[in-house]
Amino acid sequence: MTDADIIVVGAGPAGSCAAIAAARSGKRVVLIERGPFPGSKNMYGGVIYPRILDELIPQWFETAPIQRWVIRRSTMVLSDTGALNIDYRSNAWGQAPYNGATAYRPDFDNWLAQQAVAAGADLICSTTVTGLLRDDQGRVCGVSTDRPDGDLTASVVIACDGVNSFLAKQAGLYPNANADNYTLGVKETLSLSKHIIDERFGVRDNQGVDIEILGGTSGVNGGGFIYTNLDTIAVGVVLKLSKLSAQKKRPEDIIAELKRHPAIAPLVEGGEVVEYSAHLIPEAGLEMMPKMVADGLLIAGDAAALCLAAGIWLEGVNFAMASGMYAGQSASAAIDASNVSAASLKSYTNRLNETFVLQDHKKLRKIPHLVLSDRVQHRYPAFVTGVVERMFRVDNPTPKPGVRRIVREERKKAGIKLSELVRDALTGLKGFG
Amino acid sequence: MTIAVCIKWVNYSGPVESDTPDERFAGFSFADQAALEWALRIAEKSADEVLVLTAGPVGAEAVLRDALSRGAHRAVRIDIDLTSDSSVIARSLVGAMSQARMVWCGDYSNDRGSGSVPSFIAAELNIDQALGLVALELPENANASFTAVRRLDGGRREQLLISGPAVLSVEGSTIRLRRASLKNTMSASKQEIQVITATGDRVETPALRPYRPRPRVTLAPIGLTALERVKHITDTSSSKGHGETVHAEPSVAATLILESLRKWGYLP
Ligand SMILES: Cc1cc2nc3c(=O)[nH]c(=O)nc-3n(C[C@H](O)[C@H](O)[C@H](O)COP(=O)(O)OP(=O)(O)OC[C@H]3O[C@@H](n4cnc5c(N)ncnc54)[C@H](O)[C@@H]3O)c2cc1C
Repeated sequence: MTDADIIVVGAGPAGSCAAIAAARSGKRVVLIERGPFPGSKNMYGGVIYPRILDELIPQWFETAPIQRWVIRRSTMVLSDTGALNIDYRSNAWGQAPYNGATAYRPDFDNWLAQQAVAAGADLICSTTVTGLLRDDQGRVCGVSTDRPDGDLTASVVIACDGVNSFLAKQAGLYPNANADNYTLGVKETLSLSKHIIDERFGVRDNQGVDIEILGGTSGVNGGGFIYTNLDTIAVGVVLKLSKLSAQKKRPEDIIAELKRHPAIAPLVEGGEVVEYSAHLIPEAGLEMMPKMVADGLLIAGDAAALCLAAGIWLEGVNFAMASGMYAGQSASAAIDASNVSAASLKSYTNRLNETFVLQDHKKLRKIPHLVLSDRVQHRYPAFVTGVVERMFRVDNPTPKPGVRRIVREERKKAGIKLSELVRDALTGLKGFG
Repeated sequence: MTIAVCIKWVNYSGPVESDTPDERFAGFSFADQAALEWALRIAEKSADEVLVLTAGPVGAEAVLRDALSRGAHRAVRIDIDLTSDSSVIARSLVGAMSQARMVWCGDYSNDRGSGSVPSFIAAELNIDQALGLVALELPENANASFTAVRRLDGGRREQLLISGPAVLSVEGSTIRLRRASLKNTMSASKQEIQVITATGDRVETPALRPYRPRPRVTLAPIGLTALERVKHITDTSSSKGHGETVHAEPSVAATLILESLRKWGYLP
């Protein structure tokens, strides 16, 4: 008999949801986390879209450790000195059933893992999984860990060990890993009083704001973000790895530069840095996704590159939670059917295909590339802000120029050909559906 | 027989002032970890059982489970408010460790502990105490006496010969606690922990006052201006400083230097 029915590696959002789903179906589940507690090693920008939890933890919003409910979403385009901001506010998002929420990962991930424990999973922390165990036929049948006497056998292993998954690589599921598919996310958490945050961002109580930024990354392809917590704000950038290393820039300098931008400085002024963190993001979406199933093995969340990084959307936690949940359910069903072969576990990928997890990725397939392309990164911010600046500038006694003329002149000034503009617009339209 | 180890559930993440630690950042100090390791090593050579005790609320059971996973045999939690007086905690711990031939503790806990619990335990049990140990040499025969080195004030050390029942408190640097095996980690979460409700009153101790040196009379500085008075206090411009240049063979020079230092009062 195996030590467990299902071993889940990594107690991030994917792992905990896999463990909850599997434990609820009566399986003996061991959830292994390398950090001293779930969430201790995890970072992200700051907004979770937890509606998928409705299926797993009804009324989750009553107990989840939420900082603020996002009621304002803004997209900012920054040139060197200008800023265009498109801002949407809905107070309805501040009430059940809610939309997005800011939360600290050491709080949220720990809470989610405790739900798995409550469902009957064994949570083992401070334990790093170092490899996969295989039986005589090469099927995955457990894991080895860094503890003495540390091998553990199971019918199915679900690898939720995050981006750069060593388990998925060891299983041969990433034969052509390419650094170009990853971005580096870097974040400063700044301490500010709640009162100041409420005033600066035009919110009250536990209402929060999510700002996504195009431009402002010191010429390195990427983007930025600002999110509000109760008494801190998160300011960060996401940077294309290959460009960052080619341009020999330091990520902390890029954040410092972003914080000095005239549109950002008033928002972050006086904030004391209480945390600095960095983490990789699997950015290329569908382009980089590995095979997600092998005999006795499933991979979910960032380990399977399921994070959606498509410009105005940076969603990984909800994709991780959903894929984890489906992996837990499929593993459990395969054990019930006494067949944990890759063919039997394929119900997992079917489920991903039927739901938003892969449907969103398919729809937005071209967007990560488009958003990180040199043209969108280096020419469009100046073009867009230039057009808006001239539309709103009053040059009396000179009469107002026509919008078409402004667009033409600013396009030329930014060095964008008409054909390129049309092509990008079409890709964008098609990509965003 | 039993070897008892007392460990305290504390915030090890730093000087967070909280009576009940955040469970995520709580554990037991390196000193308590060292105490557990010494006890486990002795028990490996003898037939003793290692009993691990902690005083605190339910959350504190986490450190007991941790200790069980590393090899302790039995665990007891004294249900008590963590802010209780050290003497009350010590008395409650003693009440739960009958037959202990040795009691191991960390020298003091991370949360501004004063290291008084081990001495209260020794007083309660009326056995010897060897506190603040910085080095130990365990004998081959677990029941034989052994030597230990204790830290004293002013950088001094004291060597002790330990035989018979004693309370020992050790510094965290003396030894590193072993890592728990995976199987033990899993089984420890299901092992039973005995819970005892605290009893016992505060021990009355004689009132002590902190040491205060006798005042030294200093005359008021002399001088009309502030600068003169400052010079008088600091003595910066006077040429009272010692100094003498000598030309001599090294051995003669060394003797002269020593003589001068003695004359000036730098050497006894
Ligand atoms: C800067 C940045 C900003 C982001 N912003 C957002 C955002 O605002 N909203 C959003 O939804 N998403 C965001 N994301 C993406 C999101 O963080 C991830 O998609 C999500 O965390 C993936 O969850 P996961 O459970 O798959 O992996 P992770 O959260 O990475 O969890 C993996 C877990 O596995 C553990 N682990 C790893 N290896 C081992 C091992 N060998 N043994 C044992 N345990 C192991 C880790 O300690 C960790 O707990 C952001 C990411 C970054 C880097």
